[in-house]
Amino acid sequence: MSTNRISTSAMHSTVMAQMMARQTALAKTQSQVASGKRVQSPSDDPIATTQILDLERSRAQLEQYGKNSDAATARLNMGEQAMADATNLLQRVRDLTLQANSGVVDAASRASIATELKARSQELQDLANRRDANGEYLFSGFSTQTQPFSRGTTGVSYAGDQGVRSLQIGTDQRVADSFSGQEAFMGIAQGNGTFVVAAGVHSGTGSIDTGQVTNAAAWVRGNYTVQFTSANTWQVVDSASAVVASGAYTSGGAIAFNGVQVSVSGAPATGDTFTVAPAATESVFTTIDNLITSLGSGVDDPGSRSQLNTNLNGSLAQLDQALDHFINLRAGIGARLSTIDNATASRQQLDDALSGSLSQLQDLDYADAVSRMNQQLVGLQAAQAAYARIAQLSLFNYL
Amino acid sequence: MADLLSTGVSGLRAFQRALETTSHNIANAATPGFSRQRVELAASSPQTFGSGFIGTGVDVSGVTRYYDQLLATQSRTAASSFSRLDIYAGKSQVLSDLFGDSSTGLNASLQKFTNAIQGVANSPTSTSARQVMLSEAEGLKQRLQTYDARLGELDSEINSRLTAEAATITSTAQGIARLNGQIVVAQNSTGQAPNDLLDERDRLLGELATHVNVDATRQDDGSINVFVGSGQALVLGSNATALVTKRDPYSAERLTIGLQSGSTTVDLSATLGGGSLGGTLDFRREMLDPVRNQLGQIAAGLVSAVNAQHREGVDLSGNMGTDLFALGAVGVSPNIHNSGSGSISVTHVDAGALTALDYEMTYSGSAWSLRRTDTGAAVAMTGTGTSGDPFLADGVAIVVGGAAAAGDRFQIKPTSTAVAGMKVLITDPARVAVGAPIRTAAATGNLGNAQISEGEVLDAANPQLRSGVTLQFIDATHYSINGAGSYAYASGDNIDVNGWRVTLSGVPAAGDSFSVASNTGGVGDNRNALALATVLGKGVLTGGTESLNGAVTRFVGAIGVSTSQSTASRDAQQIISDSTAAAADSVSGVNLDEEAANMLRFQQAYQAAAQTIRITQEIFQSLLDATRR
Repeated sequence: MSTNRISTSAMHSTVMAQMMARQTALAKTQSQVASGKRVQSPSDDPIATTQILDLERSRAQLEQYGKNSDAATARLNMGEQAMADATNLLQRVRDLTLQANSGVVDAASRASIATELKARSQELQDLANRRDANGEYLFSGFSTQTQPFSRGTTGVSYAGDQGVRSLQIGTDQRVADSFSGQEAFMGIAQGNGTFVVAAGVHSGTGSIDTGQVTNAAAWVRGNYTVQFTSANTWQVVDSASAVVASGAYTSGGAIAFNGVQVSVSGAPATGDTFTVAPAATESVFTTIDNLITSLGSGVDDPGSRSQLNTNLNGSLAQLDQALDHFINLRAGIGARLSTIDNATASRQQLDDALSGSLSQLQDLDYADAVSRMNQQLVGLQAAQAAYARIAQLSLFNYL
Repeated sequence: MADLLSTGVSGLRAFQRALETTSHNIANAATPGFSRQRVELAASSPQTFGSGFIGTGVDVSGVTRYYDQLLATQSRTAASSFSRLDIYAGKSQVLSDLFGDSSTGLNASLQKFTNAIQGVANSPTSTSARQVMLSEAEGLKQRLQTYDARLGELDSEINSRLTAEAATITSTAQGIARLNGQIVVAQNSTGQAPNDLLDERDRLLGELATHVNVDATRQDDGSINVFVGSGQALVLGSNATALVTKRDPYSAERLTIGLQSGSTTVDLSATLGGGSLGGTLDFRREMLDPVRNQLGQIAAGLVSAVNAQHREGVDLSGNMGTDLFALGAVGVSPNIHNSGSGSISVTHVDAGALTALDYEMTYSGSAWSLRRTDTGAAVAMTGTGTSGDPFLADGVAIVVGGAAAAGDRFQIKPTSTAVAGMKVLITDPARVAVGAPIRTAAATGNLGNAQISEGEVLDAANPQLRSGVTLQFIDATHYSINGAGSYAYASGDNIDVNGWRVTLSGVPAAGDSFSVASNTGGVGDNRNALALATVLGKGVLTGGTESLNGAVTRFVGAIGVSTSQSTASRDAQQIISDSTAAAADSVSGVNLDEEAANMLRFQQAYQAAAQTIRITQEIFQSLLDATRR
């Protein structure tokens, strides 16, 4: 609607309204500059607002995952320390065992070694009962306020459970922060981890090694007996007395069946037997207790010494199993720590990316804002100057 | 000669009137609603002479105002629309600002709560971590309630505003009616239009239009009739009816607008539109109520999801978890016009099916029916309405009781009161259910390599949940439960017993056994806390399709979109409103330069007319001199 005339009051009010509008725009820019935020209310940019909310939530989550990772790392490091201490301790036990196994050690020395072993066993028990900074037992599963290991009449028993606590270190990533005491100290495989050998009928001088698995897929779990049908032939029968394998005997030769092999050396007598049974598990405390019992026999005749040697050899094998077990656990802890490190690295990258996007969405472009503010200032000043001039215009001035 | 004199005098009189009118225009240059006036001049009837017609001067036929009916109506309508949008956008901006702060907002509170749960998961036995989690639960509840309280304040502000609007509209209508009377009298007695009275009435009409959209019709006697809503008369001649507030039939705390008609009041809330009153009503209906309901819906989803998970855990003393939050009850109010003694009780049953709608339940005399308040569309219900078999619809259970009369109605607001009644029920940190109720173990003598999963709870209410169960393998492919039965086993199978599920995998040996037992003493277990922390990211709302985090984002985004739309509409309407006002003003407004020019013109004409009188006197003097003896 074009008009040829304008009323004097409209002229004033139009200019006034324009000035007000410019002042409002200026105030808005000024508030943006003061806060540094481009989006001050969801209505300023609804789409950016929803993205900002999502990004901020993600960043807060990442921050928490960082804290969770720190907590997991702390507990894993404590577990690692305990395992390292346990390894050293067991190494000392192994050295003492080797010492006791040598022919020069007499009963009195063995008794003193046994005494030290008792102290080591107690030390190992204390180590297994370690607590973290919150006073929670490290190796008691979920029952973190129940002392996991205590000695009773039948040796050291475990009062914890098999639970393993996990912590969230990423949106879909959890990491276990401990081992249960069952896993760490109780469940150590016997023998070679697959089967255990033992002497059965024993009238000759044959002795058997711990054996090894040659083909795990062919191994059929079960109880087997190696029988010497003569001084130079053997056969292996299963629990139903069915013959599984047979062969000619040479001292130190392999007796192989069902994917495993053992070797007997010496001169076994006809009718001598050795048993091969599936491996169960044993606690490291039981291993040391057995060792102490063996050392405590106290008699020094050659027969007992031969029996002692056999027993100590078994114990040494079991100690090696325990040492391997601890090394595996430490490797497991190392793997978890490295998982956490990787997660931390990718989390930091993600956080940088998120904060970049966030800044792009919500932060003010100062150069742009300041130049806009200058434009608005110039506009406002022009409007004011124009008003001052227009307001003076009146025909009455010339009458 | 006498003719010459009278012609001159007629000029003097006419230009005096014209100067007076110019002076009046100048005086009213800043008067709102004033239309500039002009004196209508016409040549007087000429006298007949033999030689032709001789003019006899000028007549003032009237004073008229510059006024364009069409432009004035356009301007009024545009102003009415602008006024509505201005209120709407202004109030929406309040909502947008309220929910906008991302560092203290709902989003941040939810995240703090989640992080505090993770903190408990990191050290389940730490009382301080548990206390922090309870504090953050309280903080989240308070954040929701702060919002809800602010929305409640806005609702009260709207009540006050409606009262003020009704009073303003009524007094303006009375002003128009009074002017109608004066105008009819003035017009009848003089036959001329009383311009200033007309201007004042138009001004009042324009003011009325900024409060509510009106329809004005001009009558032959000069009066106007004013109608609002769907044709209800606000002003008829010199009579005005009153616009009043009345209580909502369902709530004493809510006001609606009605037209006083004799002793009764006709509810106009649904039909009034435009102006600040229409904007206020529209804002309440389209923004405030839905936003409050949506907030309640989010709270209902939060409470339901967190409670369900919390009940699946065990606390520090080994007891099963109880509800962490309580949700406000469903708002139910009978219509004040109900004649029967019937009552209904409504409870939340399924947060996932809950909507942000309000409902009206009506008894026909033989059957109950439910419909949405906003569209009036019927909502299907299942069940019979008894406590054993309640009506079920949209996530609520409705039980009817008493003797309702035909036509009785009840309003059901499942979500709007949910936030206000929210509570944190657990204050003792030890009662936070952080652990899972069961734990699993493999027997130490197991020879096979089968492993048991840590187990999950399917039904926390199963009374046998925490009874010990032993799964023992009869052979590698069959197991017994507690020594009984023989169940086929395949690696990776789920085994569901007593409300829990475990998974066994690997190759077991005959005689291997696994136990599932109560997690007694398992204070270091954090499994339920981990599950709680992930609840907020899972689909729990809108039929399980939307997570709480997602709902909060959508909620804030939707407020932003509505606000930015209404602001854009307001700005567009402002341009229309300004330009129509300028168009009307270009006809009616006073321009002082123009008046100055007119003043000069009329002054000169007046001086010239005065000259003719002097000439007349001189001519007459010449005649006297010529005939002097």
